[in-house]
Amino acid sequence: MMPKTKPAYLWAWPLGLALLAALPWILPPYQLRLVTEATIFSLYAVSYNLLLGYAGLLSFGHAMFFGVGAFAAAVVINSMEGVPLFLALAMATALTTLAGLVVGLLLLRVKGTPFALLTLAFNALFYAIAVKWHTVTGGDDGLTVFPSVVNFGLLSLDPGKGPDMYYLTVLVIGLAVAFCCYFTRTAMGQSVLLIRENEERMRFLGYNTNVARLMLFIITGALAGLAGSFYAIFNSFVSLDAISIEMTTKVLLMTFIGGTASFAGPIVGAFFYTYVQDFLSDLTDNWPLIMGTLFILMVLFAPGGLSGLVKSLAARLPGAKDKGSDRDD
Amino acid sequence: MTEQAILQIMDIRKDFSGLEVLTSVNFTVGANERFAVIGPNGAGKTTLFNVISGKFPATSGAVLFKGRDISSQSAYRRARMGMARSFQITNIFQQLSALDNVLAGVRSHQGLRYNLLRRPHHDQRLIELSEAILERIGLQDYRDVPAQELAYGQQRALELGVTLSCDPELILLDEPTAGMSRKETEDAIQMISRVTRDIACVIIEHDMNVVFTLADRISVLHYGVILACGAPDEIRCDQKVKDAYLGEDES
Amino acid sequence: MSEIAVFFLHGLAYAGLLFLVSSGLTLVFGMMNVLNFAHASFYMLGAYFALSLLHITGNFWLALIISPLLLMALGMVIERFLLRKVHVLGHVHELLLTFGIAYILHEGVKWIWGTSPQAMAVTGILADTVSLMGITYPVYRLFIFAVSVILGLLMALVLFKTRIGITVRAAVDDSAMVGALGINVPRLFMGVFAVGAALSGLAGVTAGPLLSVFPGMAESILIDAFVVIVVGGMGSLGGAVLASFIIGQLQSFGVILFPEFSLALIYMLMALVLVVKPEGLFGEKQ
Ligand SMILES: Nc1ncnc2c1ncn2[C@@H]1O[C@H](COP(=O)(O)OP(=O)(O)OP(=O)(O)O)[C@@H](O)[C@H]1O
Ligand SMILES: [Mg+2]
Repeated sequence: MMPKTKPAYLWAWPLGLALLAALPWILPPYQLRLVTEATIFSLYAVSYNLLLGYAGLLSFGHAMFFGVGAFAAAVVINSMEGVPLFLALAMATALTTLAGLVVGLLLLRVKGTPFALLTLAFNALFYAIAVKWHTVTGGDDGLTVFPSVVNFGLLSLDPGKGPDMYYLTVLVIGLAVAFCCYFTRTAMGQSVLLIRENEERMRFLGYNTNVARLMLFIITGALAGLAGSFYAIFNSFVSLDAISIEMTTKVLLMTFIGGTASFAGPIVGAFFYTYVQDFLSDLTDNWPLIMGTLFILMVLFAPGGLSGLVKSLAARLPGAKDKGSDRDD
Repeated sequence: MTEQAILQIMDIRKDFSGLEVLTSVNFTVGANERFAVIGPNGAGKTTLFNVISGKFPATSGAVLFKGRDISSQSAYRRARMGMARSFQITNIFQQLSALDNVLAGVRSHQGLRYNLLRRPHHDQRLIELSEAILERIGLQDYRDVPAQELAYGQQRALELGVTLSCDPELILLDEPTAGMSRKETEDAIQMISRVTRDIACVIIEHDMNVVFTLADRISVLHYGVILACGAPDEIRCDQKVKDAYLGEDES
Repeated sequence: MSEIAVFFLHGLAYAGLLFLVSSGLTLVFGMMNVLNFAHASFYMLGAYFALSLLHITGNFWLALIISPLLLMALGMVIERFLLRKVHVLGHVHELLLTFGIAYILHEGVKWIWGTSPQAMAVTGILADTVSLMGITYPVYRLFIFAVSVILGLLMALVLFKTRIGITVRAAVDDSAMVGALGINVPRLFMGVFAVGAALSGLAGVTAGPLLSVFPGMAESILIDAFVVIVVGGMGSLGGAVLASFIIGQLQSFGVILFPEFSLALIYMLMALVLVVKPEGLFGEKQ
């Protein structure tokens, strides 16, 4: 919980950044695409875990925001000729924020299991709307997206090119993930944790816990929307898949397999899922079955996810230090 | 100090789907006063606190705080107005350190509740304020210890600390010494009389020693009504109270 | 006039299916406090099992009996070996588990039976039509409704007239109290879970010939069943009856009145209930 300064690791920062910058020269294009995709999903999963792991809110409807972000970005880019990419992203995120507000106001009237149920129902509603609203979403055909080149003065990045898209993703998504990490330490992030721990006491300390929950729901929705926008741009295409229950299942699997008890867990999960899917789908069409089985096995035997497993292994090693600040309960 | 009332309880009635727990409760607590509520088990004392602090609304009647009718305000609003309560059954953030427990209230009082940019742990002033509270309750050496690892008496102290953390003008203490040893109770009395030097306090207690040491005025709640209300000496001599309550307690 | 009657009957048939699915869902929730996301997967499996049984035996009635029995067995296994294991981990893990099971069953069905919808044919009297007050109507839809009414009555009989039923109702009202009744709670839970699975499977078998059999059938009825228990009140059987009826009719008339927005009607009803009475029509305040 307390901020730790680790001067010994300071050298790791420039090294890591240099590695990130050099990746397009190191990796073949296909691998670079995988990294880009996994990075986008990292934000999706991290935002989801702010709900599940930090606030203890189990949602089965995160894809509605991912999907709204994806479609909104596509529609803005397609309908406004030459709109700057960042403006399009901002507009898409604003729209997701609005969606989060409306859905949150309605759904957060209930808690626990009914909340989980309703999030799934609303995801299904969003999907049905996307199917029906053919003129905007393209229905079953989806939409193709061709974003314009981003100009940073001297440097310009073309989202249509693999390395450029990679840099854009690392920049924007990386910043968003960093914000999420920062968020967990902010007053708001801490309040969310405390509310999960003892909501009644928080109310008697002057916190409007309903507002806090709503704010969190909106913020995480907006972040998922940003991830969705990037997903659309990354694929130059957006289909109903982006707003489907499968997309919700995906974030659930990623987050849980990675581990909900630590900030890095969902990132681990996003990369793990992306690579394992890539590997398995070459071998069999039934890779979701394997992924699902893995998920069930983890629920049964490793509820802390991969990062939980790593932690408990590390704790058993000789010379392991303190348990660390484990929020798992 | 003005002698103006900080809390006025006016004809409070509360029933739970037919079970009438409070029939008609009236009293007034002056600013800076220590007011005790005593009564047998199940008399409705905790229910009264729940009504005052806004956990649930009264069936009828009004609660006035600093002259304002707060009967329809939610708990968090009452807390922001300067009313704080403790719980009979310790109700703190078990997994968090002692410091984090009081920090929650300290930053709430400073308006730092939902801020998306500022980090409370990096705010030296908040940390100092929190540490000051830990010092007042004698837990300065346990700053970073998770609440659940503290001894029972220390957890009760922290319960009081969390109550004090939002710098209230009125505190409602629900059996602060419940389950404490004699020594711990002595310490707790000291602590409470210290922290309530310049704030008002309503205290529920079973321990008559605590009540008669601390309270400026006492009221006796007996199955939903106030049986008597007055200075400790008046209450001690009151025949009705003796019959209903003190008698059985001393036997 | 006769148009309206036809759509009303259509609505009744769907209400029957919904009731069969949601009654188990709501009972399990009321008792065990677990919302079973895999409940509609039992419905889907019921249909697929019946499809295969029909291939093997050629007899629909046999499929109608055996398929729910298979699901009852599956329900027992899932409750005993999976659900009970994660109970100690708490709510979130229980939900995640049932969600994972639903996911696996969905993918498994796609793997075994393929993704394309398959027709399931009934023969004999079930394939006939009858004349009712001047309209010709397929017997099969009436059959579905009849099955659900019979089972609903049977359920009421068991719940209100037998010892075990009274225990179940007590458990739904106050799940903390059952332990004190001196009965084998885990076995009771397993039993109710398994019966719920069987009912859901039975609904699947009867739905097969009407709606055809396809992997998405679980998802579509799951959402409707969720709406039923939200509107009716979670844990309330009476609420499930009423809400199934309302939603069956909304579904049926919605399609003719607002073909584009039939789904929206159902959600509007749910939103309305959430705003006005979040605990549902027959639900108890949390
Ligand atoms: N939320 C509630 N719903 C129903 N009944 C309640 C509720 N809260 C309290 N009661 C009932 O009200 C009565 C008074 O309870 P209360 O907790 O106020 O007593 P108390 O004076 O604090 O007793 P104690 O000295 O044991 O703490 C009891 O009979 C209790 O069962
Ligand atoms: Mg009490």
